[in-house]
Amino acid sequence: MTRIVSLSLAALFFGRVRGLDYVTCTSIVKLENQNYMVRLHSHDVKYGTGSRQQSITGTHEKDDHNSYWVIKGTKDKPCGRGDPIKCNDIIRIEHLATQKNLHSHHFSSPLSGHQEISAFGKNGDGDSGDHWSVICSNVYWERDNSVRLKHVDTEMWLSLSGQSFGRPISGQMEIIGGSYADSSSYWRAQEGVYVKPADIGMGSFVRDASSKIEHNEL
Amino acid sequence: MRLLCLALILSVAVTDVLGGRDFYDILGVPRSANVNQIKKAYRKLAKELHPDKNKDDPAAQDKFQDLGAAYEVLVDAEKRKQYDRYGEEGLKDIGRGGGDPFASFFGDFGFFGGDDRPRETPKGSDVVMDLWVTLEELYNGNFVEIVRKKPVYKQSSGTRKCNCRSEMVTRQIGPGRFQMLQQQVCDECPNLKLETEERTLEVEIEVGMRDGQEQLFTAEGEPHIDGDPGDLKLRIRTAPHPVFQRKGDDLFTNITISLDDALVGFETEITHLDGHKVKVSRDGITWPGARMRKPNEGMPNYENNNRKGTLYVTFDVKFPKSPFTEEQKQTIRSLLEPEHADASVYNGLGYH
Repeated sequence: MTRIVSLSLAALFFGRVRGLDYVTCTSIVKLENQNYMVRLHSHDVKYGTGSRQQSITGTHEKDDHNSYWVIKGTKDKPCGRGDPIKCNDIIRIEHLATQKNLHSHHFSSPLSGHQEISAFGKNGDGDSGDHWSVICSNVYWERDNSVRLKHVDTEMWLSLSGQSFGRPISGQMEIIGGSYADSSSYWRAQEGVYVKPADIGMGSFVRDASSKIEHNEL
Repeated sequence: MRLLCLALILSVAVTDVLGGRDFYDILGVPRSANVNQIKKAYRKLAKELHPDKNKDDPAAQDKFQDLGAAYEVLVDAEKRKQYDRYGEEGLKDIGRGGGDPFASFFGDFGFFGGDDRPRETPKGSDVVMDLWVTLEELYNGNFVEIVRKKPVYKQSSGTRKCNCRSEMVTRQIGPGRFQMLQQQVCDECPNLKLETEERTLEVEIEVGMRDGQEQLFTAEGEPHIDGDPGDLKLRIRTAPHPVFQRKGDDLFTNITISLDDALVGFETEITHLDGHKVKVSRDGITWPGARMRKPNEGMPNYENNNRKGTLYVTFDVKFPKSPFTEEQKQTIRSLLEPEHADASVYNGLGYH
């Protein structure tokens, strides 16, 4: 009896994966803040203060292609195409249009003086400051549920200060690294292209270390 | 009488415009076919209808040319739109800088008022994303399902100003004196609101596709409030493979063999991307870095899947790690005595 139940649960689970209720590796998504209802956004505009790296804002526009982000694994622990992202996984979030990663570090944000969030790197390659932990309550990052994103290096939460920029980006909101998770730290996957899990194992996009030829004769 | 004449000219124009070849019929695809279906149909028919394969058919050349013409039009979004509206004749205007096929009849007289050049329909942003694929998928072909959740504009209550443009108007400011002014003219359009739509799309990973090739999904990009949505483009990116490296249609791999195999010969096999075994054997001595060619064991060619590239196998030699006994050393020396040469020192980077 127990066996039948566990089998049907497995079938139910894989049915959900097939139907794609999850955010998966290599998918592109728009992330909407559940408090301010703005989408995480970037563009080729640098901060005038702080790190002077590419700026990150929150936009009310729903149809701006500069709000698409690619979900991917880390360099040390890549993920395969269509792999569902697990809660507590460490991921990188790459801005689709500029190929820079969502990043944080010990600089002050321009409006509120909290920790700055920027876009960093080149062609999707950056450093450990691009690592974010997906904090959610189930097994996987479900598309219908909100998640929190915790910066691994500094343990800050991806949040909003509630303040808005003036010209030339009037109305766009300041994104910050908050020292504690509050109502503005919840994000939900919205528009995007969600890649379904592969029927054949993609594996991870790196050569298996064991297949490399070692030259340590000496 | 004048009206009757005008109607007659119009009807003649329409029948003339919508005459010509049926490109959808030539390719054997429905009018709703997407770019991927059109490409697939073209490649299939191009192989079948190629004049070299149909030397007995006197119409083969014409059929092949019709196929090329149909493909050229239907894969180009702009040409296809023009063709769908006005038939093959309407395409001639694209070469002349576009425009309404009826403009040559009525444009000069301004019967329909205003500017006779059609306004460019604005378009939403394209969404271009990478689709990571394996060499196995590129060798065998596969379909990948994606879910597209996108914003779309839907009609709602009320109206709004739209299609705003600048137009020149002439105003009389006195006897015989006129002034030309530029003023903004807008249309009244129904109000729109953004809603989210979701649908499953199937991306074909075609056999032999190359890195950077794109699969296009028309109108699956971002919307535009006064125009058409952009397109979704999936760019093929090849994931690194543990066994093979691809360059063009050729594949490269390495095999590490033992020193004794390198000296006396060996036989082994490589499991290929579709599971078939490729036999690799040598009788003679194999030098480290030696390369073997296996014709027709590479990647299938994208245009002609029956044509395959070459598989290149490079050999690495694994030397023993544990030291030999004096007795073993003597045995090896005696075996290799004829080949013995004193160590020579030279500039390995090249000296000219």
